[in-house]
This record gives sequence, C-alpha cells and structure tokens, in this order.
Amino acid sequence: MNKLTRRIILYAFAIWSFFPLYWLLNTSFKTSKDALARPPTFIFKPILDNYLDVISNNEVWNYFVDSLIVAMGTTFFGLLIGIPAAYILARFNFKGNADYGFWILSTRMTPPIAMLIPFFIMYLKLGILDTHIGLIIAHVGLNLSIIVWLMRGFYEEIPMEIEEASYVDGSSYFQTFYKIALPLSLPGISAVGIITFLFSWNEFLFALVLGDSVVRTSPVGLYGFVGYQKIYWGQLSASASLLLIPVLFFVFLFQKPLIKGLTLGSFK
Amino acid sequence: MNSFKKQRTKFIVLMLMPATILLVGLTLFPFIVSLILSFTDYSLLRPGQTKFIFLDNYIELMTTDEFWIALRVTVVFTVLAVLLQVIIGVFIANLLHQETHNISFLRTIYLLPLAITPIAATFTFRLMFNPSLGVFNYFMKSLGFPPQAWLASPSTALFSLIVVDTWQWTPFILLICLGGLASLPNEPFEAAKVDGASNWQIFTKITIPMLYPFIGLALLFRSIDAFKTFDIIYVLTSGGPGILTRTLNLYAFKHGIEFLSMGYAGSIAIIMLIITIVVAQIFLRKNNLLKPKDTFKR
Repeated sequence: MNKLTRRIILYAFAIWSFFPLYWLLNTSFKTSKDALARPPTFIFKPILDNYLDVISNNEVWNYFVDSLIVAMGTTFFGLLIGIPAAYILARFNFKGNADYGFWILSTRMTPPIAMLIPFFIMYLKLGILDTHIGLIIAHVGLNLSIIVWLMRGFYEEIPMEIEEASYVDGSSYFQTFYKIALPLSLPGISAVGIITFLFSWNEFLFALVLGDSVVRTSPVGLYGFVGYQKIYWGQLSASASLLLIPVLFFVFLFQKPLIKGLTLGSFK
Repeated sequence: MNSFKKQRTKFIVLMLMPATILLVGLTLFPFIVSLILSFTDYSLLRPGQTKFIFLDNYIELMTTDEFWIALRVTVVFTVLAVLLQVIIGVFIANLLHQETHNISFLRTIYLLPLAITPIAATFTFRLMFNPSLGVFNYFMKSLGFPPQAWLASPSTALFSLIVVDTWQWTPFILLICLGGLASLPNEPFEAAKVDGASNWQIFTKITIPMLYPFIGLALLFRSIDAFKTFDIIYVLTSGGPGILTRTLNLYAFKHGIEFLSMGYAGSIAIIMLIITIVVAQIFLRKNNLLKPKDTFKR
C-alpha cells in the first residue's frame, strides 16, 4: 500500500471517528429550532446561549466535580489494589495461578442486572449509598479485572533478568517489586490508568442506582436533560462538549506515556 | 530453604489479599443472591409469597421462543460487532504505526469516541438516525439513495446498533494494538523486507502472529462487554422493532425491572454468566493465555 492510500484511509477513519462529535458540537451552538430542523442544517447562525445556560447552572459544575472525584479515586485505588495482584500472576508459579486469574476475569462477566439489586441492598446496610467512597468501591470492583489482566500482560513483557539479579543481590521480594518492577512498569501503569479513568468517568448504570442525589456523576446528570416529553438538545450537547475538555486534557497529558507504556517490550 | 519458601508464600498472600477481599466482598454476595433467586419465583409485586421452584425458571426459559431469539440476537450482535472492531482496529493500528505525520493528532481524534460521555453520543446518534430530520438520511438523499428507517426497520436496526458500537469501541482495540505494535522487535520485519516480502505478507505472516497476545486480550474484554451491552440498545431501539434487537441483557432487564420478577431475571443472568465462562475458558485455553508465560524458577 502506498503512502497516499494509507493517508486517505487514516484520514477517512478520523472523519468517521469525529463526525458524531462534530454533530454534537454543531448542535450545541444551535437554537432548539435549528437543532431539529429538517433537512438538518450545516450552516446556521451560531448562538452561545446553551453554553451560558449550562455554565450559569451550578449543577453541571457539580457533576464535573463528582465525576472527577469518583474517576480519580477509582483509578488510584484500582491501580493500588490491582497492580500487586497482576505482578504475582505474571511472576509466580503457584498452585491455582490460572484459576485465580480466571476468577478475577469472571467478575466482569456477571450481567449488571444480577449485581444491581444485591449491591443496592448491601450499600443500604453499610450506609454508603450515595457517597463518593461507595461509588469508588463499586467502580474499582467493576474494573479490577481489566486492570489486573492488562497489567499482567505488561509485566510479562518485562524481561525477568533484572529482578532475578536483584534477588541475587539479597533484596527481598517486596523490595524487588517496589524498587525494580514497579518503576519499569510505570508507562504501563499510566496506560491502564487512563483506560480505568475513562471507564469510571463514563459509567452510567451503577452511578445511577448507587448514587443519584448527593453524588451525581456527569453521565447520570446529563441523562437529566432527557425528559419524557422532550430532549433538551442544547443543554445536553453543550454540557457534553464542556465535559469533554477535562477528559481530553487528561488523555493528552497521558498520551506519551500511554503509547510508550504499551511499548515496554523495547527494553528487551 | 524453608524460610525462603515461607517468605515467598507470605509475599504472594499479602499481594493478592486486597484484590481478593474486595472482589469476594463485592461479587460473592450478588452472585449467591442471584443464584438463589433464580430457583424461586420471587417477585417484587408479591414479596411475601415467594416459593422455591427449583429449575422451573430455567425450564420455562428453555422452552420460550423469546429466550432463544434473544440469545441469537446477542450472539449475532457480539460476534459481528467485535469482529468488525478487531478487523478495523488492527488494520488502522498497523497503518498508523507506519505513518510519519500528525500521528498524535490522529491518535487523539481516534480516542474521542471513548472519551465522550456515552449518553450524549448515543442520543446524538439517535438524532442522526432520525428518518425525517437525521443527517444520515440527508446524505442518503443527496447521494440518490432512498431514505431508511434506520432504527425502526427490521432489516437495518441490528446493523445500525453494530455501527454505533463499532464507532464507540474500535478505539479500545486500536489503543491496545498500537501499544503492542510498538513493543514488537524490529529484526523480523527487517529480515522479511530484505527477503523481498510484500507489505501484505509482512502484515499477515509477521505482524498478526506477533501481535496475537494483545489482540487476544482486547478481543476477550470486548466480547465480555459486548455480550452484556445495555445502554446503546436501550436508548436507540429498546429492543425493537418488535423483539428483533432485544438482547439477553435487555430481556433480563424487562423481566427484572419492568415486570419486577427478579427470580426469572436472575435465571437469565445465570445463563449469561455460564455461557460467558464456558466460551472464555475455551478461548483462553486454545490461545494459551490462561497461564503466565514464564515465572521465577525459585
């Protein structure tokens, strides 16, 4: 395939990825009449009312703060709990290694319908319904499988010799993990971290059932713009566009280590 | 030697402890509750009169056409959507890996579908699919094709859902593959080029086999998630037209949340869990992904 064909395909895929977002942005600058015009309008008189409306509305700011706390907390605790388990699964051949790994994976397989009501009962009894920590615990549980399995993949890519040399030098298991393996996997950690962050940031069902009044994350909050009678397209699209900014910032910030992170094998 | 072994065991136990406690705490109780419920006729409509009916829910499921239709819809949706995502994801990752200009710009654009709040994206798709004022039909008309009732017509509804799922989740596969590609050693590729292999031969004979563990992991997680897709189907078609796009998850939701018969919903959930476990076990064993590649010898 020559250079031109390759570029055409790559930019065509970029248009495909961007088009729905273009339409969302487009809608956010339209009056409600323009948003539902037929045929759909590409050129129109843009208005800022939707954005002013959303910004002056403290609620959207609260969604943002709640989402940020939950997603950051989930990422931090998820990595803190998941990385040690991943390291053990990648490096130690103990009886039941494969079964333990599969059990962790299986926690992602249960359909949410089976989890929601028991979760709700459990949270009610524990008194952590509608709290940040409650939602963080649920999101960590939902994403631990992917953290452990992806991190295990990364540890398998790191050559073992360095760690083995550290043992020969008399370091303990924990010292070797903490001082050698952990820094070597830092890029991998940021990669898995960003995936966890995005999963938590966008999670809807558990955030709706276990949160909703005090703690309302942005997906749940944005759902509020969808009424029974009508959809408030202006507010919905404007707040979704605004909420994309911090995520983009996060993705952009972590992009270099993210790709480098997945390139760990080049240490070989 | 003995204290060595003790230390090793202690380390393993301590490192696995937090994850184990959290997952047992979070998943064991819901699982047991669902399992028990699935053997009863528990309904929130008459909570006091729950009877133990053993396998009746399962027998009823197995003899209901609706269940088999839902199972077929779920399998078709999962297989087609994930297949499409893996093919596009691997292909684009390979192209982007060879590209030299604007790589980080392209990468950021590609990640957008994963970053936008799904609720907003899904409703935007609903607007775009709208038969009379949607932009898709506008394009169809401009190109001289007849307009379609995308989400309402039996021939296009499932296809439209697969398109939306593919739009949203291809970046996930792409991301993992990009990283995998960058981690491959250069030597085999250079050797192949010296031997005069074509780009296509390099792609199929070297790239794919070497990228294989990464593709396998991405495919596995995507399949598990696609099998229980809920939001996009609920928002876009709610399972319609009729029950043609009603997946097992929506079927369970209908019985559990709308009809409040939790026992029946529980049995659907258990069946889904069993199917996923069996398929995942076969997949992982066949691809040798279950056990670690190499471990400490001591």
